[in-house]
Amino acid sequence: MNNAIHIATREYAENARTKGFWINMLMFPIILLLSVKVPKLLEEKAKPVRQFALVDQSGLLGDIVRDAVERDYARLVMEKIGTYAQTYAKDKAAVSAETLEKTAMPSDFAGRVKEFMDYNEELMQQMMSPEAIEMQLSMIKPSLVEDAPEFEMPRRRYDEVDLSGLTGADLDLATAEPSEIVRALRPALVDDERLEGMEQPLFALIVIPPDAFEQILDPSIGNMANAPEPQDGIQFWSTNLTDMALSNLIERALDRELQKREYVANGLDPKQVSLIRSTTFQFSAFDPKKKEGEEAVSVADTMRKWAPVGFVYLLWVAIFTVVSFLLNNTVEEKSNRIIEVLLSSATPWEIMVGKLLGIAGVGLTMMTAWVLSLLGVLKFIAGPEVEWAGALFEVIQSSGLLPLFALYFVCGYLTYAGIFLAIGSLCNTVKEAQNFMGTATVILMVPLFTMVFVAQDPNGALATFLTWVPVYTPFVMMNRAAADPPMAELLGTGALMLVTIVFMLWLSSRIFRIGVLRTGQPPKIVELVKSLMTPLNHQ
Amino acid sequence: MSSQDALILDGLTKRYGDFTAVRDVSLRVPEGSIYGFLGPNGAGKTTTIRMVLDIVKPTSGTLSVLGQPTAMAVRERIGYLPEEKGLYKKMKAWAVIAYFARLKGVSGKEAKQRAHELLERYGLGAFADKKVETLSKGMGQKVQVLASIAHKPDLVILDEPFSGLDPSNQQVMEDVISDLNKAGSTIIFSTHVMSHAERICDRILLIAKAEMVFDGTIEQAKALIPRLVRIGGVEASRLRSLPGVGDVMPSEESPGVFEVVVADGHDPQEILRACMREGIELSSFESGEPTLHDVFLHLVGDDAKVAAYR
Repeated sequence: MNNAIHIATREYAENARTKGFWINMLMFPIILLLSVKVPKLLEEKAKPVRQFALVDQSGLLGDIVRDAVERDYARLVMEKIGTYAQTYAKDKAAVSAETLEKTAMPSDFAGRVKEFMDYNEELMQQMMSPEAIEMQLSMIKPSLVEDAPEFEMPRRRYDEVDLSGLTGADLDLATAEPSEIVRALRPALVDDERLEGMEQPLFALIVIPPDAFEQILDPSIGNMANAPEPQDGIQFWSTNLTDMALSNLIERALDRELQKREYVANGLDPKQVSLIRSTTFQFSAFDPKKKEGEEAVSVADTMRKWAPVGFVYLLWVAIFTVVSFLLNNTVEEKSNRIIEVLLSSATPWEIMVGKLLGIAGVGLTMMTAWVLSLLGVLKFIAGPEVEWAGALFEVIQSSGLLPLFALYFVCGYLTYAGIFLAIGSLCNTVKEAQNFMGTATVILMVPLFTMVFVAQDPNGALATFLTWVPVYTPFVMMNRAAADPPMAELLGTGALMLVTIVFMLWLSSRIFRIGVLRTGQPPKIVELVKSLMTPLNHQ
Repeated sequence: MSSQDALILDGLTKRYGDFTAVRDVSLRVPEGSIYGFLGPNGAGKTTTIRMVLDIVKPTSGTLSVLGQPTAMAVRERIGYLPEEKGLYKKMKAWAVIAYFARLKGVSGKEAKQRAHELLERYGLGAFADKKVETLSKGMGQKVQVLASIAHKPDLVILDEPFSGLDPSNQQVMEDVISDLNKAGSTIIFSTHVMSHAERICDRILLIAKAEMVFDGTIEQAKALIPRLVRIGGVEASRLRSLPGVGDVMPSEESPGVFEVVVADGHDPQEILRACMREGIELSSFESGEPTLHDVFLHLVGDDAKVAAYR
């Protein structure tokens, strides 16, 4: 067995020195870090100020659009003041796991409040005045650390372009056909030419026709049949079909204005209506499995329900990363004929065990690094914008998912390591090995395709069925871990998985023995089965 | 079974389906000897060696390696260099040698020390810390040879150790073999280049088309073929009348020269003396030892060529 340990040590040392190992190990924390930091950076720095042109022929709705853009900026400023206050607060009100356990899942109440604010323009405008901002900042000042920098006003997201005089004398914006306006501005929209004084293409053009109030959709029966044509209504022109934020913003504001007028026309006070619309029942979810008195479904419960999905993904990536190391190493030893020297020094079984152990060590090292960096990023680097991150980690820690993760990694690894080792022993090049695996890869992807569905219905038919397929058991069981699958199933599939692992390792050791000394093309399946049936002294 | 034999093969046969790779090979390799496995490509040398090492199982027959029925039982006392050479490309030269020594039971510290000593002794000291992939093919092969002997094995099996080496490295290889032999190891090596075998082997096994053709010392092998002298400047008919002269054939290479078979129980000197006595004026008289190559061609003949093209 000493030899198995020597082989394992060498495998570990060699793989731990490869670039691939370090890339894999560092990639995860780097991606994690980037996914926390980059969107914010992009939002703040990289995303350009979107410049739009507005042609309002109705004479009524243009200011509604401008107000909406202003309010959007106001909300951004308030958000930034909040972040600023949290970032430089003397006592950071960290969100703890305990608070998450007690916090009920928020309903859409926040959204309602926002809508209410939108109907209360005066309130919004009051909060937005420079004086109001100055006052807010001076109010939070005492709770900030001494060396906090000055608050910087964020950049605007959207800016209106002044069109007067830009489109030429022969076009009167107030009376021109929408198609004519579009024709005039199309070069700027598709970036064939820039409007005077603009450093970037025109992001969007909004054209509001004079009879906009007649071009409306009314869901009452009988009106849908003669709905207006799109080109007769309000038009939003932009080459960017993915960033819908501005078009949504404007559409919402215009619709609200329309609805407001309808309320008034029907003798209703829009403010009253908005207040009514924002009134809701107290509606909460409860979990009968929880302790009496604490059954309300909390944020922590929801995290626990979804955390396994993340673990399944990690498990999958980790297992297939390390078994591919195993495959490559075996192919290398075979094509270099090093295997012959090894076979003269150790039994095939020792070689196999050594390789399995060595690569398992590589995998565990990588996973430990991942988990530690997850902890590090969540705890120390994430910052106020993901204040729940530390709590998330505590929830994960307390949920007992980590030991299960380690267990299922070992089981999954042993199931697949044997298969990959056997494939490696039959092939002379990595390319050959990839061909050999062929469609098998699709079968291996199943746990990834199904992980969200399994999390949604963790004890349902699909989950149960997949659990009984031994090669999927580790992944699906991880996936279902938070949902307490029935004990009988747990034990049954566990036993089946163990039997499978033992059988796979036994089979692989047979294939390995035959495979490593073969030369030439990998055998056909039929040939392989045939040679597995032949006693060793006739092979 | 004599304890004096490092290796005993008895009726060793290996069949792959209908194909027989080795048929009924029996031999004894005395301890401390240098034994050559000779034969054309595809004759069954490598398969025989693999059976000796327990890498493939014989279909029938028995063997005794250092007194044990399988090589696995005594693997720490055996060193093996396979026919196709290859090493871990990313490892340093000394580390490869030390690794294979460790697999043979040498302690970590000792293995490292021996690796450095061996590299130094065979002129690779400067490359000890270089990765294998940066070495030339010849150097890599030397490293692999050293890796197979760093644990001071009692039995060393080298499959085609000279192939791919330039003449000066072939000389180093011969030195390695004779150093090992002086240190008391038994050495078995296979080759299809007769001159190496002739210089360093005590005994040879000649194998062709899966069957053994000859087993014995080099002298015994050479005695198998009639001795030839090449005589020029005289008529064939006069030569035939001389005592000790067997067949007389005109040489294919040089006109006017005859190849004369020395009859059994006679030697070339006798023929030369007879010529002088008869007053025959010779333009040339060449009496060379037959080489192993001649023996090889004599015993294997056209089979060698057939085998080589298969």
